This record gives sequence, structure tokens and C-alpha cells, in this order.
Amino acid sequence: MTRTRSPRSRSKRPSGGLRPWLGWAIKLSLVGLVVLAGFAVYLDAIVQEKFSGKRWTIPAKVYARPLELFVGQKLSKNDFLTELDALGYRRESVANGPGAAAVNGNTVDLNTRGFQFYEGAEQAQPVRIRFSGDYVAELSSTNGSKLPVVRLEPLLIGGIYPKNLEDRILINIDQVPPFLLDTLVTVEDRDFYHHFGVSPKSIARAMWVNTSAGQMRQGGSTLTQQLVKNFYLTNERSLTRKLTEAMMALLLELHYDKREILEAYLNEVFVGQDGQRAVHGFGLASQFFFSQPLAELKLHQVALLVGMVKGPSAYNPRRYPERALMRRNLVLDLLEQQGVATPEQVAAAKKMPLGVTTRGSLADSSFPGFLDLVKRQLREDYRDEDLTEEGLRIFTSFDPILQMKSEAAVGETFKRLAGRKGSDEVEAAMVVTNPETGEVQALIGSRAPGYAGFNRALDAVRPIGSLIKPAVYLTALERPSQYTLTSWLSDEPLSIKGADGQIWKPQNYDRRSHGTIFLYQSMMNSYNLGTVRLGQEVGVPNVLKTLARLGVERQFPAFPSMLLGAGALSPMEVATMYQTLANGGFNTPMRGIRSVLTAEGQPLKRYPFQIQQRFDPGSIFLIQNAMQHVMREGTGRSVYNVLPKNLTLAGKTGTSNDSRDSWFAGFSQDLLAVVWLGRDDNGKTPFTGATGALQVWTSFMSKAGPLPLDMPQPDNIVQAWIDPHTGQGSDASCPGAVQMPYIRGSEPPAGASCGGQAPATGDAVMDWVKGWLN
Amino acid sequence: MNKWWIAAVSALALLNGCASVPQGSIPVVDSGVPVSNNERISAQRTAGSYPQAAVPRAAQARTITEDSGVVVMVPGGAASVSTPISTQPFTPGPITPGPAAAPISTGSYTPSNTYSAPAPITPSGIPSNSSGGGLAADEQLDGPVLALLTTAQQQQSSGDLNGASSSLERAQRVAPREPQVLYRLAQVRMAQGDAAQAEQFARRGLTFANGRPDLQASLWGLIAQAREKQGDAAGAALARQKAKVSL
Repeated sequence: MTRTRSPRSRSKRPSGGLRPWLGWAIKLSLVGLVVLAGFAVYLDAIVQEKFSGKRWTIPAKVYARPLELFVGQKLSKNDFLTELDALGYRRESVANGPGAAAVNGNTVDLNTRGFQFYEGAEQAQPVRIRFSGDYVAELSSTNGSKLPVVRLEPLLIGGIYPKNLEDRILINIDQVPPFLLDTLVTVEDRDFYHHFGVSPKSIARAMWVNTSAGQMRQGGSTLTQQLVKNFYLTNERSLTRKLTEAMMALLLELHYDKREILEAYLNEVFVGQDGQRAVHGFGLASQFFFSQPLAELKLHQVALLVGMVKGPSAYNPRRYPERALMRRNLVLDLLEQQGVATPEQVAAAKKMPLGVTTRGSLADSSFPGFLDLVKRQLREDYRDEDLTEEGLRIFTSFDPILQMKSEAAVGETFKRLAGRKGSDEVEAAMVVTNPETGEVQALIGSRAPGYAGFNRALDAVRPIGSLIKPAVYLTALERPSQYTLTSWLSDEPLSIKGADGQIWKPQNYDRRSHGTIFLYQSMMNSYNLGTVRLGQEVGVPNVLKTLARLGVERQFPAFPSMLLGAGALSPMEVATMYQTLANGGFNTPMRGIRSVLTAEGQPLKRYPFQIQQRFDPGSIFLIQNAMQHVMREGTGRSVYNVLPKNLTLAGKTGTSNDSRDSWFAGFSQDLLAVVWLGRDDNGKTPFTGATGALQVWTSFMSKAGPLPLDMPQPDNIVQAWIDPHTGQGSDASCPGAVQMPYIRGSEPPAGASCGGQAPATGDAVMDWVKGWLN
Repeated sequence: MNKWWIAAVSALALLNGCASVPQGSIPVVDSGVPVSNNERISAQRTAGSYPQAAVPRAAQARTITEDSGVVVMVPGGAASVSTPISTQPFTPGPITPGPAAAPISTGSYTPSNTYSAPAPITPSGIPSNSSGGGLAADEQLDGPVLALLTTAQQQQSSGDLNGASSSLERAQRVAPREPQVLYRLAQVRMAQGDAAQAEQFARRGLTFANGRPDLQASLWGLIAQAREKQGDAAGAALARQKAKVSL
């Protein structure tokens, strides 16, 4: 510090007779040199230590499920293209190079990018896929050979960051696209390959420009100095800092070659802010702005990114598209002027739009609800530092297409029901799973998409109302000698004296009683009186045991009011419960994560599929049948106003007291969805389970196009013809006879044949059978 | 945990180095292609390039490769007899529901004619059905499932049980109700020492194996083994009984 100023100023006026002064000056400068050398050694240690070690901490990256392609897969072309867009595939007339896709009618040619998965590497390859209806009809290599199964690379859906964190995707200098290095050097530091860390020429030019303009226009910083400033130093503007910076730049150049320095620069540079997250490095910038891997970027995109280095917020292409475009074209002009790109290349690049992903598209959406689930599951196995620093890759079961459909279903249904008074204050939560694998595919924690606050799907614990009823009826149906679907059940009023002496008089929703009915009818119409009577017969503790076997871990007191769903669960817990019903009585712990890899692609941990049989498949078959009645002719029947009649579904509505909670839980063969609507302050809503949650559910299912429920009939089930009025055994030839499933031995004795008479029509049960067959 | 995987990975890497791939035998190719986000990866684990029986296992199935296609070997219930699953022309389309429950929205797609699979291969010299492990001709598998089971088989033969498990779960997602996938999952869980889950997967397989007596027998056989491992001798005897009845 001292050396540069004092000795020079003094040595400028040396005059005779001042020898002692000179001596002092020499001594002083010697001391200065020693101090400086010490400082340099100190700086050198800093420079080397930070640069040679692990340069950056990288937050864990969370990926969606990879889209699997195989012949016979249910996948519409539109959904496929949505996914391709989100993955940043370029649409070209002929797919050329990784990340390109060409659409011709029902055929899509694409070049996949390849990816490292837990099970091994998926290679990059050219693929031709032909759609027929909503199915994949053909999958081949573009040379014509058939491919059995292909995986696309998974969509990056987020990361795990502490607050105010730098995020980056590390890149290798060998992976950069053409033009990037030249553009960067041309725009930021033309002498980069020739200077030693500082460029006196640039400083002189900057000074000249600044003095003649009378203000700070141009900086004389080299790329090395910029790197040093960002990497080692604070943002303070002082001469001391400037000098430290220069010294460190020299030291850095002394130890490392230009490519290493350039690579570090590429990864360090700040290019934008995403809420709390600072976007660093061109690798992440490429994903953040274009949803594409850096290596695939074209000249116009490279020019935009490099242009943004000068002022990431001023030239933010999403916020200031015009300014960003001007800057990009200025950079392109410079490239032409310096001979980096040909005039033709520059002219073509200038014609291109900015090309940043649009807001609201899949690529530019965030899914805080699901990420919250992932984080909670990860925190059971990892420390926070592991998650925020080690660059782990988390592979999840998240299905972005189903998520977008869930969000659309919630949004559209609220819009449609906006006329109902008080619907504005109603919040929503939704959980979508695959009942056959126990994987969570989509999750909505709030009515507003992308809202990162209170996660209602996990944390809104609310009375489940009639969603409890399958547990009540299943408890009964597990005793085939006592109960069948056509057992008679009284729906007459009853009163129950509680332990505290209080009398409880449950009521039906319509405040009427419905006489004596079949067990399945009480279930499908969600009659409270019949349900409470049945629950009392089998015993409340036994119903709670059934609930626990279904997968509900929460403990409840054995009050009779539990039979009508006074117990509170979160939507996720309800999904676990219905999962067991949907999956043939096999319980599966809900999973959102499949596996974890290290930053280098090494397998670290797997979250294996686990199942446990909790119920006899026969009794599950019966309860599923009753839940199908709910949809065909019970409280869920409005679903078939929208969905096709031949789509077999099972489900149950739930409404808590005074319509404070509107629930629906139901499933097809391959999709299970639980919807909750209610207010955060637990106030009354204008919705029942059927008029609120079921509407969202229906809308979702109509978008998702599920496979019809088709549980294989277990060995111990027989189908018997019965008289729909008496429940007595009948015969296929008898008018109005219907088939019902029974556990073998519990079916009514077969009735006599009625001869060749054609079955008559006219009653309700007959109608649903017909509807089913049509 | 860390030590464990380091050992496993280095063992794999070693095996990898020694491996040579019989031509045409393996549908998965080693590739060190960068991931889409350009993070550096090292594709050390390649599903596929393992020699057959690289890790000798007495009672484990082997992969038999022929130039014309792949035959997955499923060991029998007694764990000593291997029997083939043949590849036969299959019916694509939603795998689980039958034709009656096929696509809801579209009637235009007729899957049966769109895909021609390799002709059935009947390997010679393999005992087809001796002690209750045989799979009858109705055991057909389609393209993706067969490919994934083959991969899993190779991973298992090379001792990569986690990889095999992961590939089988992938197959289960593709064909959730294919009892052969569940059977293989049960086998791998057994090899991993998780007899309880092995039994559960075999039981799940049984619920989808109606009308497939040979497969039922194999599943019951596996349940018997699993129960034995869990110290349930009576249950194992019962399962053995069932295995016989199924045939």
C-alpha cells in the first residue's frame, strides 16, 4: 500500500543535501516491500485455498419423474409436447442434435439428451414416437428399429436452498456452446488471453473514456478481476479493495491457466435473481431463462446471456424484454464488428425472439407444495447442510403433467362456482397418487398455484366426515357370516347415550330417515342413521382398528361420533387410507422420493416400494363395489354428467358439520385423488362434499383420462343373481334380477329360473346395471 | 451407509472393468452422456455391461442370450430349477385392464396389429417343468416389461441388488399388475434378506395370477421360503401345500 504512493512522490523531487531523506525513503520502502510481500503471501494463501478446494456449495436438485415411453402407454400427444416444451426441446422441421424435436402429424421425432439415473445411464438417442388416440402406438429408433422403452430426462422442479442462497449448475468449459467463450471475451475483456490478470491498457482506456465523459462509464476490470471480486471479495467500492483485487488477480493468473480461470468465471458470474435465490453461472442461467442445457444454446441466446452480465436486473429479459433485446443485438453487432460471427450469422440471430420461457408454462412454474413434501421426507435422512451444499440429485415421483391438470381443475372449478356466496374465502388442497405404486404424483397445498406458504395438503387436519364410512362398512363386510352388501339395515332414528350421560341423536343430511335398506344403499347415499347403527353393532373400537389397518396412524377416542367422521385427518392421511382401499387391501407408505444420487451421479439412497397386506381381497372387492355404487347412483353420481359412463370409478364424499369441510376421495385403476375444500378459519363454506370437492375431482379426472377401475375378482368372491327388492336369490332369466358379489358362502340361495322371459326394466338398481353395461 | 456404497460401487467398477459384453445380448448400452443440465457426471454404473454369472450364486437365475432375442429365466419354486418366460407376441395397450376396459375416450386405436414382437423362442435343453416352478405358455411378457426384467436380471447376476430392485420397480410402474414383475420383486427382496417384503410381493402377485396355476405355484413356493426365513414353519408348510394345489 504505502510503497506505491510515498516513495514515488518523494523520489520525484530529489535534490542535493537531502541524502538523509533518501536514506529514509529507501528504508521505508524496504519496510513497505516486506509488508507488501507478507500481504501477498497472505493473499496468495486465500487465493489458492479457495480456488483449489471445493469452490462452491451446490444445493440439492429435485427432479420430477422421468417420462417413460413405451408402446401401449397412455399418453396424449399434447401432454407429451407439453413435457418436451418444459424440457426445452427445440421444435425443428427435422430433429437435429440433442434436445431437438420435429412434429409431423401424429409422429414426433426427437433426440433425447441422456441422463444418469439410479439404475444406470440412459443414453442420448434419436427416437420416433407415433401416437394413436391417447396412446403411444409405436416407438422406434429413427433408423426404424423398435425400442422397448425409452426414458426422457427428468424435469428439474426445484432445489433445496437456505434463505438468500446462491444457486448454480456447475458446467465444464468443454460443455459450453459455440460462441460463448468468444462472445464473453469480446464483450467483457478483449485482452483476456494476453494480460496477466490486470490490463493497464484497459485501465488507461477506461480512464480516458471516463474522464472525457466526466462520469463512470467504463470499468477497466478484466475477467480475472471480475472473478476475484465476486469470488473472494465484498461489493465495497474502495481503492484498497481495488488494489487487493488487482493483486489477487495477478496471483490467480500466476497459479492457474486461462481456461481454469474462464471456467470458474462461467460458473461464478451472477445473472439474475429469482426471489430469494441468486442465479449464478451460465449453466443455471441457461436452465433458468431457456429451460435448456447450456451446451444447446444458439448464438442469439448466448448473446443475450453475455449481454446480461453487465446488468442482470437492468437487462432482465422477462422484466424488460425490449431493453434486453437491444442489448442482445448490440452484443451481436459487436461480434460481427470483431469478426467473431459472420454478418449472415448475426443477421439470422437478430431475427430470433428472446426465447425465454413464458410465465405460467410448465418450465416456468414452481411447485412448492410438492417440494415441501420432498423436503420433509429428506429431512428424516439428511442434515440440512447435506441438502443445501452437496449438490445431491433427488429423484421424485412428481408428475408435472398431472400437477398442471390438478391446478387447472382447482382454478376452473372455483371460477365456475364463484357465484356461490362465500366461495372466495374457501381454500383448497389436493393429493394425487398412483394407487398401484403408492407414489405421490401431484400435490396442491393452496388454491393459488405456486403459493409457498401453509401446505394444506399436509397440515390442514380437518374432520373427515363421511370419508370415514368405508371403514365402518368394511369392518362389517369382513364378517361375511353377519353382513353382506345386501344385508338389511335400519335407517330409523336412534339416540346414543355417551359415557358422560349426554344423549347423541345423529341425523341424516336430508333430516329424514329412509326405512330399511340394503347395506350398500346406506353407504352409497351416505346415510348417517344406518351407518351409526351399523357402527354400533360392529363396535366403534373395531372401526378404529380398521382405520388404523387402512394406514391412519393418528389415534382417536372411541366415541360414537367417530362413526360420522368427527376425527380429523390431513388430505395426505386420507390419501394413505384410500390407497389401501384402492390397492386391493395392500397398504403402502406414501412415497414422493424414489432415489438420491450424489453430485457425481453415484447412487446414494433408495426409497424402496413396500407393501403390506392388511385386508382380505374379498372384503376389499365388496367395499370397492359399494364405492362404485356411490359413483353410479349415490352421492357421487354427478361425476357421470362429465365423465363417460363406461369409466368405472369408486369414491366417497365427505362433509363435516355445517359444511365446514368439503371432501372427496376416490380412485380409478391408476389414479387416486383426494380433494379438500374449506376455510383456514374453519368457517362455514357453501359446499358439501358433492357440490365442492367432487367438482374439482371430476374436473381433474376428466383432464387426466384415467383407466377404469378393474379389480380382479378374488377367488373367494361369487357373483349371485338377486332380486333387487327383496335381496333374495334369483336367476339371470328373471325380470329385474341383478348380480351382486358375495364372499363365497354368504350369497343367498339361488332362486328358480323364470324361463325365457326377458328382463323387465324400470327400477333404480336396474338402471345402474344398464348404465354400467352401456 | 457411506462405507457400504463405496464398497459396492468400487466392486461394480471393478466388475465393469473386467466385463465384456456378448454381442446382442444386452439392450442397454454404456453411455457417459452428460445430463441435461450439464452437470458433470460419471457414468460408472452402467446397467448392462456385466458378464453373466459374474458373481456366482447357487440358486440364482441366469440369463441366456441368443442372437435372436432374450429369454428371461425365472427360477422355480424350489429355487433349483430355472424355467423360461418366453417372449411371445403381445397385445399392447393399457396393460392392466382387459379389452373390455380399454381406452375410455378413443375407439380408433386397435393395438393388436401395431406391434410385431420377435417370434417365440423355445430354448432347447432346458427343463420346462419338473418340480413345480414351470411357467406355462400363457406367461407372456411385452416389450418394455421384458426389457426391464432383463436389465434387472443382469443387475442381479452381477450382485447389484439395489439396481435390480430399482429396475423392477420401474417395470412395476409400467405394468403394475403383471404378477411376474411382482414375483421378481419378491425374489430380489428375498435376495436382499427382506423375507417379509418378499412374502408381501408374492402375495400381491397372487391376487393378479388367477388362471395361471404355474405362476401361482411359483409364488406360493416363494412364500413358503419367505415364511421359513421368518421362522414360520407352519405357515411355510401351508404355503407348500398351496403350491402343490395350484398345479
